[in-house]
Amino acid sequence: MSLTPLHAIFALMSLFTVGGAVGVVLNRNLIYAAMYLVLSLFGIAGLFILLEAPFLAAVQILVYVGAISVLITITVMVTRCVFCKEPPPRQLTLVAVMAALVMVTLGFVIMTRFGGLTPAADVPADSIEQLGVAFVNPQAYLVPFEVASILLLGALIGAIFIARDDLPRDEEAVGGDDHA
Amino acid sequence: MNLPTLESINLLAVLPVLIVFGWTLVLLVIDLFIPSGRKYWTAWLGILGLLGAAVALAVRFIDARGAAVTAFDGMLTVDGFSLFLQAIFILTAVIGILLALDFLPRHKIERGEYYILLLFTTGGMMIMSMAADLIVVFLALELLSIPLYILTGFARPRADSEEAAMKYFLLGAFASGFLVFGIALTYGGTGTTSLVGVFNQLAEGEPSRDLALVGMALILVGFGFKVAAVPFHMWTPDVYQGAPTPVTAFMSVGAKAGGFAALMRILIVAMPAVGEAWGMLVAILAMLTMILGNVVAIAQRNIKRMLAYSSIAHAGYILVAVSAAQRPEDAPLAVSAAIFYLLTYAFTNLGAFGVVLAVEREDGSGNLLEDFAGLGRSKPVLAAIMTLFMLSLTGMPVSAGLVGKFFVFQAAINASVGNPWILAAAIVGIVTSVISAFYYIRIILIMYMQEGEPQVVLKPALTVALALTALATLILGIIPAPVFQLAKDALLTLVG
Repeated sequence: MSLTPLHAIFALMSLFTVGGAVGVVLNRNLIYAAMYLVLSLFGIAGLFILLEAPFLAAVQILVYVGAISVLITITVMVTRCVFCKEPPPRQLTLVAVMAALVMVTLGFVIMTRFGGLTPAADVPADSIEQLGVAFVNPQAYLVPFEVASILLLGALIGAIFIARDDLPRDEEAVGGDDHA
Repeated sequence: MNLPTLESINLLAVLPVLIVFGWTLVLLVIDLFIPSGRKYWTAWLGILGLLGAAVALAVRFIDARGAAVTAFDGMLTVDGFSLFLQAIFILTAVIGILLALDFLPRHKIERGEYYILLLFTTGGMMIMSMAADLIVVFLALELLSIPLYILTGFARPRADSEEAAMKYFLLGAFASGFLVFGIALTYGGTGTTSLVGVFNQLAEGEPSRDLALVGMALILVGFGFKVAAVPFHMWTPDVYQGAPTPVTAFMSVGAKAGGFAALMRILIVAMPAVGEAWGMLVAILAMLTMILGNVVAIAQRNIKRMLAYSSIAHAGYILVAVSAAQRPEDAPLAVSAAIFYLLTYAFTNLGAFGVVLAVEREDGSGNLLEDFAGLGRSKPVLAAIMTLFMLSLTGMPVSAGLVGKFFVFQAAINASVGNPWILAAAIVGIVTSVISAFYYIRIILIMYMQEGEPQVVLKPALTVALALTALATLILGIIPAPVFQLAKDALLTLVG
């Protein structure tokens, strides 16, 4: 097997992804952790490009690297203590042992048993169009698409309910008592 | 491109869930025009929609005679199993709304969104029971969970409600992560997310099997959280205690049944090839769950916490039935035992929480065991009903609980030939049932033997809910045969 530039790019992107993830876990400073998360998410976008899925890569950049990381950064900034170091969580050893155990098990299975690796079929030129059609095709992914829509609507209602501060819960709400 | 045909989409088969979703969307708009203080209109309209779905379900049931069909080209399966569970979900939602009707205004948290979110999560549960594709399973689980997280925090800014919602949300998101990872590994091993495809692939080869095995274990973690199985139960007591009581009642039944619906379909339909592995895992989980749930419940002084541990314990009994389904030839009996148990548990537990609601005071106190003292003298009927529910949860004669437990243990002993794990689980189940009598009967003793002046608020809607659940608990206990026959006919099928 000869090394190609693709291998190098893959190695770099994997380094971003895994290194960023490790950085998130190990950093006690929340802002730094958020930045490492951006790096990790960016690495995943790179991996999508290597897999010839440019649409997913674009979504990954727009939604995760763009929107979600901004959201996380803002959330971090309104927490009580941005730059101070959190004390290490309790039961750290136990958690670390459990995590290592899961990682070794999963790693072993994936490394040894991923037997049926076959080269992927060529990516069709109109993959984005096919994806779009599949979302609204009753024979493909219409049901998940619609369930996701309702899920988002529910989450939206919930978010508004939780965020609203002016709950009319004084006089009118009491009035509901006498219906029974 | 093949154009989809009406037969392959099969809208009629999924009409009940379409009614629930469609009506909820309409109700969302209607709710805008209902003045606050009259939100009980939203509740009654919600019940109306659920009754509409129930009618569609009944028509479908009479029409199909247990024949299984797929809808949307194999994304959803409508078989006897899913029809039976959808009936449980609709019932739970109706009683859940009835329980909330008086509670919300009394606690000054009456808002139309409550009923909308409750209907959304009910729809999610109904999809769960039909999902024949792992992607649909995941999305339906989220649709079930996210409204429940919000409902848990509905009594904000009460601190314990907010804390419960936060805990439930964080741990729930974590559990969903396990589930998605499991689905990804299963997909990696089999190259498909459709349950039929997974079944076919697993029947074939070795390499895919090992990967899917790990995927199965992770999926088990995800659902173990949802159904509150030990060791994934940590959230249960805090969330059950902090959530508004009608939400606790609804989620202790609905979320559990939803989780079991998808878990059983994935394990039994798609993964019989690795049945020996998951049968053993589920049996171990069941033993841990029954032991911890029943033993820790003894130490509780708060009735909502006690019922939370009781709910953990009951998840264990249902897990016994699931583990008994590991061999395809034992599966039909075990599945019918599990769904019958879910039905009896639904009535009994909703009723028990109904009594807790009646005794609870406006400031959120009145949940201690001592608050039930004297109930036998001041409210003899209510105390008698509570006695019935407690006996049913224990599994005493003349109650639905006994019949449910009997069928579960029968299925387990049937399946335990040559399988020590299932036999062990059945024995642990019987022993822990005896232990559980201690804390259930303690409530009866407190109600009748101790002096006290409980403050009971019993409004019409709550009375109706209590009458319904008590009657059902009694009838299922005395003449279970017709309903159990329905559960027996409610086959879990592989079609597509």
